Amino acid sequence: MNNNNNNKKPLLSVKELRTYFHTEDGIVKAVDGVSFEVYPGETLGIVGESGCGKSVTALSIMRLLDEKGEIAGGEIEFDDMDVLATPENKMRTLRGNEMAMIFQEPMTALNPVYTVGDQIMEAILLHQDVNEKKARELATDMLRKVGIPEPEKRIDEYPHELSGGMRQRAMIAMSLSCNPKLLFADEPTTALDVTIQAQILELMKELQDEYGMSIIMITHDLGVIAEVTDRVVVMYAGKVVEYADVHTLFKEPRHPYSWGLMNAIPRLDEEKEKLYNIPGVVPDPLDFPEGCRFNTRCPFATDKCKTEEPPLEEVEEKHFAACWHIDKLLEEIKRIREGESA
Amino acid sequence: MTEDKRTELKMGRDRSKPLLQVENLVKYFPVRAGVFRRVVDYVKAVDDVSFEIYPRETLGLVGESGCGKTTVGMTLLRLHETTSGRIIIEGKDTTYYFMPFFRARKYLKETYVNRFNDLKEKAGSVNSAIESLENEFDKKIARQYFEKHNGSSSDFMKEMMSKREEKRKAFRREAQIIFQDPYSSLNPRMRVKNIIAEGAIIHKLATRKEALKKAADLLKTVGLSSEHMSRFPHEFSGGQRQRIGIARALVLNPDIIVADEAVSALDVSIQAQVLNILNDLQERFGLTFLFIAHDLAVIRHVSDRIAVMYLGKIVELASKDDIFAKPLHPYTVSLMSAIPIPDPEKKSKRIVLKGDVPSPINPPSGCRFHTRCPIAKEICSKEEPPLVEMEDGHKVACHFAGEMKR
Repeated sequence: MNNNNNNKKPLLSVKELRTYFHTEDGIVKAVDGVSFEVYPGETLGIVGESGCGKSVTALSIMRLLDEKGEIAGGEIEFDDMDVLATPENKMRTLRGNEMAMIFQEPMTALNPVYTVGDQIMEAILLHQDVNEKKARELATDMLRKVGIPEPEKRIDEYPHELSGGMRQRAMIAMSLSCNPKLLFADEPTTALDVTIQAQILELMKELQDEYGMSIIMITHDLGVIAEVTDRVVVMYAGKVVEYADVHTLFKEPRHPYSWGLMNAIPRLDEEKEKLYNIPGVVPDPLDFPEGCRFNTRCPFATDKCKTEEPPLEEVEEKHFAACWHIDKLLEEIKRIREGESA
Repeated sequence: MTEDKRTELKMGRDRSKPLLQVENLVKYFPVRAGVFRRVVDYVKAVDDVSFEIYPRETLGLVGESGCGKTTVGMTLLRLHETTSGRIIIEGKDTTYYFMPFFRARKYLKETYVNRFNDLKEKAGSVNSAIESLENEFDKKIARQYFEKHNGSSSDFMKEMMSKREEKRKAFRREAQIIFQDPYSSLNPRMRVKNIIAEGAIIHKLATRKEALKKAADLLKTVGLSSEHMSRFPHEFSGGQRQRIGIARALVLNPDIIVADEAVSALDVSIQAQVLNILNDLQERFGLTFLFIAHDLAVIRHVSDRIAVMYLGKIVELASKDDIFAKPLHPYTVSLMSAIPIPDPEKKSKRIVLKGDVPSPINPPSGCRFHTRCPIAKEICSKEEPPLVEMEDGHKVACHFAGEMKR
């Protein structure tokens, strides 16, 4: 959509964000020094496996953490505003109005005892200066826009009367009803069938073209990332390990984790003899390894990786990676390519 | 039979003869309503599905939620009773093994005795009656009925109905399952060693000591170590639990394993590990898989042949290479195009299907896909297309097969 962000000012800028959870077993450093920017009108992808902190990052930006969670450090600047210093009542006017969120499981995100219309109208009435009649009109229009057939009738239905895809459309209608500048989409299609996923992704693209909002797409699915995002943050164990535009990332991954992930997925468009094996499991968030957090699973790890944490550095223009041994990865890729062509 | 002998036997099977045949399988679930819980309707979960699986191959069964793919697996293993249809494993009709006594008798009578008697009457002689049967398996049973038992239905029934308990046990030994959810499929109060060894002990394949030793070996085979033996399931991650589930399925050295969404609950890096293990095990133990999944990319990776299901029916069935090189059914084409490809340079031209999957209680008339099909014509809503072989081994159920291009 737009790759030319040189002279633009970011809509959202997150610097060294740290979010800790105080649990009975100890402190979980779910997000530990995460930085990125989102520019107006672009889609930023956050990709990683479960427990890497991608959802917590979104919740921290919206300040929706529960009482156990605490933002322990960092800066969040949204539209010239310091989010962390904003009082709670101001945050309430921000949420739903300036930034909105759609969730993975639309059935649990929608309230089962209110009609879809009531829930969309609630957001409109709260944030816009309109009467109930007008709000209902706006809600109906929104439902039509997200492709729900017969919106005049559907507006009075309860969430359980809608199918999974329709519910997700209703969620999108609700989140876009106040024309937000930033939309968080947390695994919006993971619970849906592929044919419905295709519909929803298509819809989100259309709506973005129309409204021009920025989207943060949080997902574990590299296919969705490749399909809809402009730039990508790869997260592992609460850290950003790689940060680049989507074409660069897929063509020239510079972190062993991103590279491993891409080779671990079976592909629909090509045959793979054997899938790449990232050995081991995601480390326990109560007890992340010293140094580079990926060192326990990394094929290139050395002693340095076990003691010193690699910083997120610009390896090429606008391509950031946090690894001590980018050269080793490059050699390995070269070796594999030569092996293939030979 | 010892371990190695069983593996040897499995390895030695002729790959051109099917190990498992499913014929016209139907499974309806009653929908009850009202004070008296009367049956008001049926969910037609699986509606006339036929396929074969050959020794040591993996048949991938793919479709969206609610298409009946899991029900096929469950019915195959008789975790659900069949509504109708026949399931033949290794030249034995296993359909009636788990039926209640009188229903089993009724099934045998209708499927074999009455049919054979009618045929004999029509054809005039026993030999021509047998000759007129098309199915090799039917011929075998007919010979058994006419020649061994001289057409005496009581003798025939007696033989078929005898030792059903043993037959059931043998069936359970030969067919195993790996479940989707590694959290709910392991008993939280049992230690890993007992979870794995239990099957071998129940089937008296080994003494307790031997069974535990075998469990330790299997744990190593699936990439865990024997020090995990005395732990409980909650001490493991999802991927490790799935490995325990695999080890449990392997302890009886089964012929057929139904893997029902075995990797869909796992993270991508763990998914790759488990898929690789399944692949290795298949070669090592000569396993035959029915691999059920909604993820077409996973299915492509593991399968030799692929069956695509939509709303209780198989719409396309072909070898992996054929189906990907030349999908013939519009649903298959749309399904393939709907999946995002993890490569931003290859942005695919999408065929976005309209609407949702219709209800299996009241499926559309004619071709069940016609309400969403981009190339549907009038005939599609009236006549149901049969599953026919279009090319060698490539079956498809569509009036306009191959007309939709990617």
